[in-house]
Amino acid sequence: MKYTFNWAVLWTGESGHWLLSGLIVTLELSALAWLLAVALGIVSGAFRTVKFRPLRALATFYVEFFRNVPLLVWMFFWYFAVPPFLPGPIREWMFDHGLEFWAGVLALGVYSGARFSEVLRSGIQSIPKTQMEAAVASGLTTFQAYRYVILPVALRLIIPPGTNESLNLLKNSSVALTISVAELTFQTRQIETYTAKAIEALTAGTVIYLVLCVGLASIMSWVERRTAIPGLIAGGGRRR
Amino acid sequence: MRRFVASVVALALLVSTVTPALAQAQAQGTLDRINQTGTLIIGTRTGSPPFAYVNAKNEWVGFSIDLVEELVKPAIEKKLNKTIKIEKKESTPPTRIPLLTSSAVDLIAGTMTDTRTRRDSVDFSITFFVTGAQFLVKKGSKIRGIKDIDGKRIAAQQGSTNARIIREKAPKAQLREFPDQPAAFQALLQGQVDAYTNDGIQLAGLKAKAANPAQWEVVGDFFSYEPYGMAMRKNDADFRNVVNTGLMEGIESGKYFEIYDKWFGPKGELPYPMSAGVRTFMLYQAVPK
Repeated sequence: MKYTFNWAVLWTGESGHWLLSGLIVTLELSALAWLLAVALGIVSGAFRTVKFRPLRALATFYVEFFRNVPLLVWMFFWYFAVPPFLPGPIREWMFDHGLEFWAGVLALGVYSGARFSEVLRSGIQSIPKTQMEAAVASGLTTFQAYRYVILPVALRLIIPPGTNESLNLLKNSSVALTISVAELTFQTRQIETYTAKAIEALTAGTVIYLVLCVGLASIMSWVERRTAIPGLIAGGGRRR
Repeated sequence: MRRFVASVVALALLVSTVTPALAQAQAQGTLDRINQTGTLIIGTRTGSPPFAYVNAKNEWVGFSIDLVEELVKPAIEKKLNKTIKIEKKESTPPTRIPLLTSSAVDLIAGTMTDTRTRRDSVDFSITFFVTGAQFLVKKGSKIRGIKDIDGKRIAAQQGSTNARIIREKAPKAQLREFPDQPAAFQALLQGQVDAYTNDGIQLAGLKAKAANPAQWEVVGDFFSYEPYGMAMRKNDADFRNVVNTGLMEGIESGKYFEIYDKWFGPKGELPYPMSAGVRTFMLYQAVPK
């Protein structure tokens, strides 16, 4: 069967408007989930490396529980399994005010937080033990040691794998379409079903994701260069 | 350098011998393909009782599937003079047309509405079922029809004709589109949406299979006309003829009405008597030999 291309469907009629609104929802969903994931990841990653057992156990439980279940299952969990436990009026209000969006943010954020946590943990563990000992010896509490000595270095160390996880988060946001969030992939399917031009619609979605991801990666690479501590991290990058 | 040139030439030769074969495959009609592979691949639903669904015994059955197995398959076998197998693949409203155009399936036999817009992309068989769009709501809901849904949350399947019509006729309604029926029904079950719109017969099927059928009502006049047809790739008149012949012979011989009774008769999965108008329409669709 011959397929006739018609690229005009991407900007005639509703399509351009849909792609734009889908892009905005994807960015909002990803940004909020990213903030949640980074917060959870830093706390959990740090907890996994302290000597205090209960905190380690708590963080380990969080990581193992949330990263070992597929994201799609988490989407359904937060959208279908959690609301019945909310009190009635709150639940009704949420139904009317984008429950599916917030369920998507929570599912994506908590899941990605577990993954960020492991990335941060590997960063912290690659810092020589002597740093922590010196910090404590000079009178800092554990919390202060983490805040002023360990985490600043660890966060710089993990920018490459952290970028990887951030890009994963952006792409995983598309799973939210299964709980009726009208994000970018949902909208490309919408164009496809209204115009029957699958190749054009999917190309549009692909190009937009590509631009977003390459853009994000460039920003992170700029951040890496700007925050590099001269002489601390061996190799890589341009000499300044 | 020489080795590089040699490998490029070899690759070009390889590609040039393969592409004519591929082009040949593309231009091949569906009947030739079925003849070669001995299999008819159909795209059908898994969660749309009683048209196509997985029953309690874990069997993939339904009215549309029966029509293919008992009316279309014999017609193809008679035309090709050999027995063929049927392979079923899952298709949903967003995926069914791409599955056809990419040749992953040969025939869509589920709950696809025949519309003029869709006929720009695919061809349809004659109509095998007639219904219209309605709403499924909790018993006692204030929603009784399309006039009552402004501002309310309505679930629909992404890519369905129902979603499109709601956008046109009731733009103030809050539409929540799900990839498939089970998720949309679950949202209705838990109150995330106030009503679920789909073709009346599918809503009746969902209600009958629900845990507590008495809790649900199908309400509203048909706000659209939904004639179901089987979809296939465009410009394949031979295949379409065979499919239509199968269906028409079934109508003439009465086998179609037997299958209808099996699923929609008084003892069927979902009693839904055929109106006199629809019966006449079906009989007139069967053009003479």
